[in-house]
Amino acid sequence: MEKKDIIQSFKDSLFTGLIALALFGPIVGLRTASKGEGLFITPQWGVVFLLVGLCIVGRFLINLNSARKTEITFFSKFTSKFSAITEDKAKHFAITAILFAVVFPFLPFTDRYFMDVAIMILTYIMLGWGLNIVVGLAGLLDLGYVAFYAVGAYSYALIATTFGWSFWICLPLAGVFAAFFGILLGFPVLRLRGDYLAIVTLGFGEIIRIILINWYEVTNGPDGITGIPRPSFFGLPFKRSPDEGETSFHLFFNLEYSTMHRIIFLYYLILVLALITNYFTLKIRKLPVGRAWEALREDEIACKSLGVNPTNTKLTAFAIGAMFGGFAGSFFATRQAFISPESFTFIESAIIVAIVVLGGMGSQTGVVLASIFLIGITEMFRDLEQYRMIAFGGAMVLIMVFKPKGILANRKPTILMHGDKK
Amino acid sequence: MSNLLSVENLTMQFGGLTAIDDLSFDAKNNQITSIIGPNGAGKTTVFNCLTGFYKPTNGQMFLHKEDSKISLRKYTDFKIAYVAKVARTFQNIRLFPAMSVLENLLVAQHNELMVASGYSLFGLLNLKTYRDKEQLAVDKAKYWLDIIGLTHRADDNAGDLPYGDQRKLEIVRAMCIEPRLLCLDEPAAGLNPKESAELNKLLKFIKTEKQTGILLIEHDMSVVMGISDHVVVLNYGKKIFEGTADQTKNSKEVIEAYLGVDE
Repeated sequence: MEKKDIIQSFKDSLFTGLIALALFGPIVGLRTASKGEGLFITPQWGVVFLLVGLCIVGRFLINLNSARKTEITFFSKFTSKFSAITEDKAKHFAITAILFAVVFPFLPFTDRYFMDVAIMILTYIMLGWGLNIVVGLAGLLDLGYVAFYAVGAYSYALIATTFGWSFWICLPLAGVFAAFFGILLGFPVLRLRGDYLAIVTLGFGEIIRIILINWYEVTNGPDGITGIPRPSFFGLPFKRSPDEGETSFHLFFNLEYSTMHRIIFLYYLILVLALITNYFTLKIRKLPVGRAWEALREDEIACKSLGVNPTNTKLTAFAIGAMFGGFAGSFFATRQAFISPESFTFIESAIIVAIVVLGGMGSQTGVVLASIFLIGITEMFRDLEQYRMIAFGGAMVLIMVFKPKGILANRKPTILMHGDKK
Repeated sequence: MSNLLSVENLTMQFGGLTAIDDLSFDAKNNQITSIIGPNGAGKTTVFNCLTGFYKPTNGQMFLHKEDSKISLRKYTDFKIAYVAKVARTFQNIRLFPAMSVLENLLVAQHNELMVASGYSLFGLLNLKTYRDKEQLAVDKAKYWLDIIGLTHRADDNAGDLPYGDQRKLEIVRAMCIEPRLLCLDEPAAGLNPKESAELNKLLKFIKTEKQTGILLIEHDMSVVMGISDHVVVLNYGKKIFEGTADQTKNSKEVIEAYLGVDE
């Protein structure tokens, strides 16, 4: 490496430090603290300089690394090895992962907190798989996916609280409602692609949220819906003391009452729902409609010239993707027992899109890895409170730097003429 | 030889610009009809009108079917390929690059497969009726791949094929919809002489073996003169000459249109 390069990278890292100073200065440097009456500003310049210093050193190291034209670092070595393994043994990997997921609640170290995180990750995996149909397969960038999640959650909550129907009746209904909204969104955006589509879907997501806030008579506005019925184990509720004429889960199976029963049940519920989503996607990808989705992503004009109806194809993608979002939404509602528009902000859509894109567009395993990585890392840094979003951003940057096409970015043909060569 | 396509008084205007001006010509079954002309003569616009991408300002286009005839004006968008069975290829290749060669050919059989899969229902249930139909579709794809000699690459991504093979693949993909009229927009563009010769062979095969008429836009005169049964020459949207390849070669108007007039 030449001296010129070093000077150049040093200059560049100083410039980075300047930007970091401008950003961290006001955000981290000036901390407001309330003492007695009123707010006071406590400067914490030490932290700022530490962060800026880290940025300068980090940038300098990255520059040196790229100047040497070698991108083999520990991380990319690790990820490429990992993706090579998962690609070769995709089936083994999937079976191992599913087995692990099945025994997870009974592992010795699994406690309430781990279960909650696992349920959250599984919810995101399911949402990721649902969105993968729209974004990964059909190539329609949908930034308002959370709208269908919200529609599913609210339809479940409203039907369950109004009519008192059981979870197993409300779940498909919520899916149908969400699919209907998917078609509703699909119609006006049929002609749009790329950036324009993204903007409209983003708007759609916000519209649904704002309707939920303002339609007070139905949705109870910002106060949300409380007392959403919990799911029961085939008619056996998870209650310490069941109502008259009812048997609860622990009495039926002669177990000591524990709140963990319900958590474990919820865990398996979302696991099954997610696996159904995955199975359905893998199946439908190999059917004519799945191939038409991918063809539409590749070239819409060519599709038309071959007699593929783009309207129907897009609408089915929107509807089916939305349906799975709706299922996940009703699970969310029954798990929380309380929902409000707060839960369905744009950031949720952004996280789901990030999971799909960073996982590798169209890759089912990639969605799993990205969910575990992004949500897991964010959870690990929960003690940092609001700063944990920095960990989320950092995780995203790491994937983008080392795996720009996504963690697993290879596509297997849906049908083979010569069979599997390996 | 029966008439397959008749274009009558076709006019296409974009604002004040007349791209096609009162064009009439016929194309016959099992014949190759070439449309040639200098750049900007309106050749691709004729294709876009025929294949439903543009709606012509004026005029009629009929596709003859045994005794009846259907008006292509009535069909737009995907219905041209689906109902009227008019297939086309594009000047700049439009394959599905990230999908395999076989998948490309299966997408072309989308509509039959959709019905066979019971709009996905039978397919999800993995019924035998659907699997059999899918096998038929694969067999059809294999038939065409054997003809263009690409069977060994069936599972590779279409985007990874060499340019010449991509051209041929696009043509056989269009053939998979079993078209009655195949419109080829500069299929020989960018091909080397060997590949052009292979293309000629393929087009002759389609013409003689299949119940398909071919409409061809081409600049490569070795292709045009070698295989055309009928040539239509356009200049500034007007038909200036129509005849056999030999007649075209010797026509004064055509030479003038291409090379200019002596002052």
